[in-house]
Amino acid sequence: MIIDIHTFPGFFAEICQEAERVEFRRDQYFLYKQHVWPLSLFITQLNAAGIDKAVFAAEDITTRAGSTIVSNEEVKALVDIYPERLIGFASVDPHRANAAEVLEDAFIKLNLAGLKLSPAVQRFMPNDPVIKPIYQMCRKYNKPILFETGMTWVKNSPSLYSNPLLLEEVAIDYPELRMCLGHFGWPWVKETAMLILKYPNLYADTALLYFDSPKQFFETTFNGQLGEYWIDRMLYDKVMFGSAYPRIEQKRMVKAVDTLTLRPQQKDMVMGLNAMKFLGLEG
Amino acid sequence: MVKHYETYVMTEDEYHTTYIGDMVKEFIEKSGVTNGIVSVVTAHTNCGIIVTEPLPCILSDLEVMLHQLVDDDGEYSHAHFLPTYGRTSANAYGHLRSILVGNSTTLSLVNGRLAMGEAQEIVFMEFDGPQSRKLFIDIIGE
Repeated sequence: MIIDIHTFPGFFAEICQEAERVEFRRDQYFLYKQHVWPLSLFITQLNAAGIDKAVFAAEDITTRAGSTIVSNEEVKALVDIYPERLIGFASVDPHRANAAEVLEDAFIKLNLAGLKLSPAVQRFMPNDPVIKPIYQMCRKYNKPILFETGMTWVKNSPSLYSNPLLLEEVAIDYPELRMCLGHFGWPWVKETAMLILKYPNLYADTALLYFDSPKQFFETTFNGQLGEYWIDRMLYDKVMFGSAYPRIEQKRMVKAVDTLTLRPQQKDMVMGLNAMKFLGLEG
Repeated sequence: MVKHYETYVMTEDEYHTTYIGDMVKEFIEKSGVTNGIVSVVTAHTNCGIIVTEPLPCILSDLEVMLHQLVDDDGEYSHAHFLPTYGRTSANAYGHLRSILVGNSTTLSLVNGRLAMGEAQEIVFMEFDGPQSRKLFIDIIGE
């Protein structure tokens, strides 16, 4: 079972009927030339990459830009077309007055499997008490959170908000809440390694690519900046495969994992079994 | 008379070849042109269009040759983030294979039929799929 824990679904024809909305997405998500294509092509791409399931996450920036980039309802609509292949994550802008209500609707009415939060894009500090109702809602419904940590390519999104160390207090306060440090917190990869090493409820994903090719960047990061054997020997149950599609093709990120020094069992965990645990899909 | 058409090929894998001669003939019939020139061009820079014999062994040999000439994991300058796209390019090998095989073909149209040898077929080549690929088909004549 291979699961891509980190993808963005903004450019599928099924949710791109309005040209103005597509342009809004391109502009807000800094994906200026992304083509619109049918969801069926994404499934073909998953097949070509050998990926069984992918997490689609919404992005709510209502208070900052007046709309969602992708709404919870749009994620739900896509997931319903291929429910065996797609897993939907909600988003809620923590600055919305009705944030908790929106999130509860996403969990109860839309049956979305988790929450994605983007502190830099949504401009909030993860350890700000104003976010507590959101964490409590996730805990109440046993839903994991995928955080966009580290650098984001999105404009006007300061990394001040997305330093993974800001999640340490949250990990302490909500030990039952499963949280993923997206993009392995790059460039704070050692801090991320420390956090997922120390806190049982913290995970990280491999959706990081900021220089070079995927293989070269994984080599530099995981075999150079971090210890070559750290994941294989210690972090094998805390790292999940993620691609950051469509900023890069999934097939390339799958191949990049081959640069890691992982025994077969550990690789199976990284590529999918850890995600199953994170998502609560284990038997 | 000039007739311009745009159509799409959905490819199924990173490296994928498909015969498109029948599709081109459908556009010729639709155009009403019986004598002239037919041009087939891909809109992309990591695909190719060739004319060759439609034998799996030929296409297999071509695939092996292109991979020998252009390594997937070479030290390519093109492996970097593209600010004008908002995404990373890591598909230099697809571009280079495309350059090697070319992105178009031009054929003669005589009395409503493509003037091709019996062993010739038009092949679309994908070097960075799966993708939805646009083709331009221009039919010029009378």
